[in-house]
Amino acid sequence: MDGIVRILRRFVAAAILLSVLLLIFNFALLGLLVFKEQRQHPAPESVVREVAEGLSVLEGERYALAEGAAELLERQQAWAMLIGEDGEVKWEERMPGGIPRTYGLTDVAKFSRYYLAEYPVYIWEHAEGLVVVGYPKGSHGKFQFNWNADWVRSVPWRLGMLLVLNAAVALLLSILMGLRMVRNIRPLVTGIHKLAREEPVRLEERGLLGDLAGSINTASAILQEKNAALKARDEARSNWIAGISHDIRTPLSMILGYASELEENPELPEEERRQAGVIRRQGEKLRSLVSDLNLVSMLEYDMQPLRRERIRLPALARQAAADMLNGGLDERHAIELRPAEEDLWIAGDRKLLLRAVGNLLQNSVNHNPQGCRIVIGAFRSEDGTRCGLVVRDDGRGVPREQLAELTELPYSSNRKHPPRQGHGLGLPMVARIMKAHRGRLLLDSPEGGGFIAVLEFPAEERPAVSSP
Amino acid sequence: MDNRMKDRKILIVDDEPEIAAMIERFLRREGFYRIHVAGDCATALSLCRTVRPDIAILDVMLPDGDGFSLLFSIRRFSGLPVLFLTARGEDEDRLLGLGLGADDYMVKPFLPKELVLRLKAILKRVYAAPAEKRPAAFRLGDALVDLDGAAVRGPRGEQPLTAKERAILAKLHEERNRIVTSDALCQAVWGDDSFGYENTLMVHIRRIREKIEPDPSNPVHLLTVRGLGYKLIVKETG
Repeated sequence: MDGIVRILRRFVAAAILLSVLLLIFNFALLGLLVFKEQRQHPAPESVVREVAEGLSVLEGERYALAEGAAELLERQQAWAMLIGEDGEVKWEERMPGGIPRTYGLTDVAKFSRYYLAEYPVYIWEHAEGLVVVGYPKGSHGKFQFNWNADWVRSVPWRLGMLLVLNAAVALLLSILMGLRMVRNIRPLVTGIHKLAREEPVRLEERGLLGDLAGSINTASAILQEKNAALKARDEARSNWIAGISHDIRTPLSMILGYASELEENPELPEEERRQAGVIRRQGEKLRSLVSDLNLVSMLEYDMQPLRRERIRLPALARQAAADMLNGGLDERHAIELRPAEEDLWIAGDRKLLLRAVGNLLQNSVNHNPQGCRIVIGAFRSEDGTRCGLVVRDDGRGVPREQLAELTELPYSSNRKHPPRQGHGLGLPMVARIMKAHRGRLLLDSPEGGGFIAVLEFPAEERPAVSSP
Repeated sequence: MDNRMKDRKILIVDDEPEIAAMIERFLRREGFYRIHVAGDCATALSLCRTVRPDIAILDVMLPDGDGFSLLFSIRRFSGLPVLFLTARGEDEDRLLGLGLGADDYMVKPFLPKELVLRLKAILKRVYAAPAEKRPAAFRLGDALVDLDGAAVRGPRGEQPLTAKERAILAKLHEERNRIVTSDALCQAVWGDDSFGYENTLMVHIRRIREKIEPDPSNPVHLLTVRGLGYKLIVKETG
């Protein structure tokens, strides 16, 4: 749900940003478009002022308008006059007919506010009276504004309130719309999350995002189907191998049983007993192959149950080494333990892990009949999150290019070289045991010979103990 | 005692007649003669009621059920010891657990020697008189280690063993002539949370050597296996 809250937050922020931008844009537009004409033509006030300033008094009641002011008037298609203190028109320029030549106080008051014979007029003070500039009829509108002083003072505050209210409405609307959108998206989001966890998904295929929901449903159905088919196939394979090993075990019991009986029969000649011994030993090889095959296939298809417990790695290594020595190890081989640390813990299946370390030891012994020295070390990674065992021998080693395929199953397409010795299940089994423990098996064979196998696990806390 | 063991009645339950015949043959060669064979659960159950065998060897897969349910039915009226013989790579838990109380299990294919050994071990454990249940004393050179009496009797007279020393010696004797890791010894003596007891163990081993070895600094019975653990050398006497 964290994702949905994030979407909502982003959406609201975007909506508010959008409205602020719209507001700024509108102000800019207002300046650009609406008041464009106002600026293109000089304002009437400035025209009348220029005319007033450009009107100079000559001798004997005569007036002259400056050149620039006269041109300005012409461009504006406006006319002008000067009304003297006595109300008589003293001077005029381009004045149309029908304009009175005498004005009383009332007339002046009227036209200064509104129109003079329907001409919009503007006035300016002059030393000799009042300059009046008239524009063509209908070219300007004159409006009267009256403001209450208190109201004018409160305008900034009112404008501020306006903005705040606008922002509040924008926020509210965006939240409402966002919630609506989230309500539509939420099932899809949970659906996709479920899809990622490979859980079955069944969404309502209605509304705005109905077809999307439909696609998610289809994807889920396909995924479930494929998983089921994969699982069924894995199970079938594993069961097939389990079945075959079961079927091999009963006849093999009899081969082993009677061969060992013949081998120990004192009435038989030496040679026959030796041959029976060969049959018995080969039967035992088959026995270990069958059980290894079964275990590897169970691991390969994730069907091997793990009995996890807290295990101390150096102790596990000692047990594996002791088992190997107790099983009777040739004098040519030596096993040595050199754990760097004792306090290394992992969670794992003790039997499987003993098997893994045992396989590595057996490997070193099998591949070095001339004898070798095996050293088992234990380590912790620098950041402390992983720890493991290192089994290293000083024997013949393996060509480097073959290292990668040692953990592949024999006869699989990834394996170019046939196993050199034994049935070749030893290292693949170790790799799969490590995988089941969320760890890994690393192999190396340095130039000077020797073979190094590293078993690396996620480290666990030391269990709470009552120390001595 | 050995002859009494050979008198025990053994029930073999296996749907494979040839396997059953082979097992019967091995057992007869070992001197057992009261052997009964059943090929399915129903026959096995009725034999259990009529013959009252002393031990049963059960196959897990049977034509009319599995060995587990058969054992469950047997357990309703009898507590006889049972050894499972399975052709599946069965999980140990399933074979020994389930609250059914199987005594041991073996996976096919097996060596006849092994089967006979395990069978005898169960018989010994279950039917031997209490005093014979475990060898309470054994000989190490000139010294006699008496685990029950918790003492060593030798040329230097009788020396008592402490509880820990006795437990260590018992574990080493149980695994005699094999390497026992120091971890396994610590666990046997101090239990599961025995991490960090290695030094204490070494002290106890030194004290034991002072009691059993002719020359404690040059041990010949209780050997140190460097880096691994210890090994008790016991010469088996008839």
